[in-house]
Amino acid sequence: MYHAGTFITGKSFLYKLDPRVKLAFIIVLSVFILWSAPIQVYFLGVALLVAALASKISIRSLAQSVKPLLIFIILIFLAHALFSDSNSSFAGISMSGAHEGFIVVLRFLCLIAAAVLLTMTTAPSALIAAVKYFLRPLKYLRVPVDDIAVMIMLALRLMPILLLRKEKIENAQKARCYDVKKAGLMARVRSFLSLIITVLLAVFRRADELALAMEARGYAREERTSATTMKITPLDHAAIIIFVIAAIIFMALKYYLS
Amino acid sequence: MLSLKDVYYRYEPGGIEALCGVSLEINDAEHIALIGPNGCGKTTLIRHLNALLLPEKGSVVVNGLDTKKERNNAQIRSLVGMIFQNSDDQIVGMTVEEDVAFGPENLCLPAKEIKKRVDESLERVGIADLALRNTENLSGGEKRLVAIAGVLAMRPRYIALDEPTAFLDPAAAGMILEIIDKLHREGVGIIHVTHNMAQAALAERIIVMNEGKLYLDGTPEVIFGKVEILQKINLRLPQVTQLLIKLKEKGYPARTDIVNMEEAINYIEELIKKE
Ligand SMILES: Nc1ncnc2c1ncn2[C@@H]1O[C@H](COP(=O)(O)OP(=O)(O)OP(=O)(O)O)[C@@H](O)[C@H]1O
Ligand SMILES: [Mg+2]
Repeated sequence: MYHAGTFITGKSFLYKLDPRVKLAFIIVLSVFILWSAPIQVYFLGVALLVAALASKISIRSLAQSVKPLLIFIILIFLAHALFSDSNSSFAGISMSGAHEGFIVVLRFLCLIAAAVLLTMTTAPSALIAAVKYFLRPLKYLRVPVDDIAVMIMLALRLMPILLLRKEKIENAQKARCYDVKKAGLMARVRSFLSLIITVLLAVFRRADELALAMEARGYAREERTSATTMKITPLDHAAIIIFVIAAIIFMALKYYLS
Repeated sequence: MLSLKDVYYRYEPGGIEALCGVSLEINDAEHIALIGPNGCGKTTLIRHLNALLLPEKGSVVVNGLDTKKERNNAQIRSLVGMIFQNSDDQIVGMTVEEDVAFGPENLCLPAKEIKKRVDESLERVGIADLALRNTENLSGGEKRLVAIAGVLAMRPRYIALDEPTAFLDPAAAGMILEIIDKLHREGVGIIHVTHNMAQAALAERIIVMNEGKLYLDGTPEVIFGKVEILQKINLRLPQVTQLLIKLKEKGYPARTDIVNMEEAINYIEELIKKE
């Protein structure tokens, strides 16, 4: 079963970058996406599309990761279009409000695209190693950095299990001829609650066993090493230089535009 | 050597004794099958072997290390590998490679050594081609192999496997048995928990448990010779042995102390030729 946004192996440009460099890029990029002038958002959107195409990531898989959030996105747009207080309106829809809504939605889509680009081109272990690298100074403040890294790994590991369970249980309900659509409101609420409880129980039981299995393999909430070796290559140097120049131009434009 | 001395264990205070007074010695590189009815304490017993459970009374000593001392944990866990009944519960990593690296990472090995061990373990169970696969999408048999590779990466001296062929089709089960045999030949001690008597017959020594106690201990031939005693706790003989017994009942002069398929085939061939 495929889940949108999960890592698939590849050899293109983005795959080759050091995970630390990618992670830093994405963080800076996210700040830009949120703080840029409206015109710049269009530019960022195009840039992300180009990056996706250049690293051979299909627009379809990007779209797939947006799908579950579609209703949310439409709501954001409508909220801006319908409730913006401007005077140039058409059939109750304000044009500037619609544009404003569109920009907000675009920012949102850009954030998702950036995150998906990162997670699809970086192995989870590499991503975790990168997070661990940036958190390392916190070790001196007695922050349990190794544990945090393992927690991220487990969260990534348990997520598909959660989704899978929900599907399995829903199928089981269907197999017993339980049709949610035909049921009354109370029955629906009840079936939803029982679904949640079953899923949670399954996951907790799973977490229990998983914890034991981790202990069996020597996990002791202590110092541990990582199989991932990270190395900055000339490619990373080039990417960093280009990124920094682009960022400077971008900030200059932002000042100029506002 | 693994040695248990008068081990008692209860999951809940005041509850039933899952183990009551088990004493046992397991030698290096021994191939042991652990059998017994449901709930007799097999899983509980093997979980004592690498300090996942600690005895309430008595002691468990692994190559001279007492499991009760917490500072021995890391060493004990790399000496005794554990394969759980459900491999889904044992896989920690999102990719196969990442999962197999989990144990060596806990041993604080340097990255290069971890890589070496991951490749080596995947090779040993024959799944080098799965290295980059997402663990969630593997078949049941493949998950079991990943779990075994994950344990091998810690280079254990013993491996305890809890019903490793449960839920697998015959082909996948056969592959697991082959790997068990191969590891044993390479000098790894095997403790194989099973409900399958034909699989138990492959071991050098069978330990039978009942109600938290040791019930019988001996070679497959000796154990499966004690038909009545096994029947008392509802254990059957391997099918080949049952077949030979049926033949004898019908008046054929058959031997009934043969427990595994290959030997039985040779023997029956001999009989037929003599006729
Ligand atoms: N987590 C637990 N909490 C409470 N009791 C338990 C727990 N696990 C096992 N038991 C009890 O301990 C006893 C021994 O269980 P154990 O799982 O060791 O048996 P088993 O021989 O492995 O059985 P099976 O062949 O069914 O796997 C049983 O009576 C069981 O009910
Ligand atoms: Mg069991």
